[in-house]
Amino acid sequence: MAEILFPAMSENDPEAEGVVSTWFVADGDEVQEGDLIAEVAVDKADMEIVAPQAGTISILVNEDQAVTQNSPIASIS
Amino acid sequence: MTTTERATRKLTVSKAIVEAIATEMERDPAVFVLGEDIGKYGGVFGQTAGLLERFGSDRIVDTPISETAFIGAAVGAAIEGMRPIVELMFVDFFGVCMDQIYNHMAKIHFLSGGNVRVPLVLMTAVGGGYSDAAQHSQCLWATFAHLPGMKVVVPSSPEDAKGMMIAAVRDDNPVVYMFHKGIMGLSWMSKTSRALGPVPRDPYEVELGKAKVVRPGRDVSIVTLSLSVHHALDVADGLVSDGIDCEVVDLRSLVPLDTETVLESVTKTGRLIVVDEDYESFGLSGEIIARICERDPSVFKTPPARVCVPDGSLPYARPLEMAVLPTPERIRAAVVKMMRK
Repeated sequence: MAEILFPAMSENDPEAEGVVSTWFVADGDEVQEGDLIAEVAVDKADMEIVAPQAGTISILVNEDQAVTQNSPIASIS
Repeated sequence: MTTTERATRKLTVSKAIVEAIATEMERDPAVFVLGEDIGKYGGVFGQTAGLLERFGSDRIVDTPISETAFIGAAVGAAIEGMRPIVELMFVDFFGVCMDQIYNHMAKIHFLSGGNVRVPLVLMTAVGGGYSDAAQHSQCLWATFAHLPGMKVVVPSSPEDAKGMMIAAVRDDNPVVYMFHKGIMGLSWMSKTSRALGPVPRDPYEVELGKAKVVRPGRDVSIVTLSLSVHHALDVADGLVSDGIDCEVVDLRSLVPLDTETVLESVTKTGRLIVVDEDYESFGLSGEIIARICERDPSVFKTPPARVCVPDGSLPYARPLEMAVLPTPERIRAAVVKMMRK
């Protein structure tokens, strides 16, 4: 199983919160390694998240829900 | 165990446009992109994100704020055999470069007796709804459609955004490709769930000039395009419980205009509402209604109606802007009013 963490996008402020702005997959979807699964944002900076491995994705946070950096947003098993 | 590559996956309109441009740039070395902030910045609306890193600064060209110069350069490049995609950042800025667009890009093929082709895509952002005021919120598609010599197309879904961009690049005519900022799926704009949808991985073309019935229905034809398609679909879903069955026609293109599909729809429902985020007078809504009247005025059970932006500049203040845009509330009210007649 692979845990997907919210990336550390703000170096100056490790406590900064961000959001998953778009989930490109739904809970329980099959994904392949390298698939675009989410776009996350801190302030106005966006970053794409791709699947680190193939498998079934479990989504742990909703779109636009505040998340701290380095906390899990999904897992793939 | 073998895994089969799925044929589609979900993308936003913004990412679908990037994919289309990248696909065509890989296929054809004559394709390149130029415009303001399309390189390092990746496009104000994400529509060229990552292309500079992939294709380099010879083919992804950031320009100064000099629309006449760089659109003129694109026209020249197209005449000489390149296939440029040139971006006018906001359609509202057309005033400073219109001579290049309508006297050169649109007319050279005609003036040369058909000997010179101008295979150019003029890509531009349109639309309001996010308090960007009178000079950054217009649609203006009818202004371009009024002038002969260029196709004018406006996708509403991620799938069409990709297929229509590929078709536009491969078209030997100048094509004005307009995307509404509100359907790009951007985190910093108000989101519509319909901005995210399945997009085939392989390259494909969506024929320019064909409308699409995106929701079949029997009572009333809502004929529209771009972000208003999303609103019309939401309204149609909401009216099911009231027993009203709306058909929604996504025009997808002003030039060529698919009169046949609209006529077929109105022949079935007998009722026509045109929803247009452009100004009301002298525009697309009047053109659609006129074309149906010319073909067969007997199809109407009731006079047609339109939901457009009234003839005034778009306000900055949010409640005022929402009062003039063709919002779901205004579309719904127009449908209900027509069905009560």
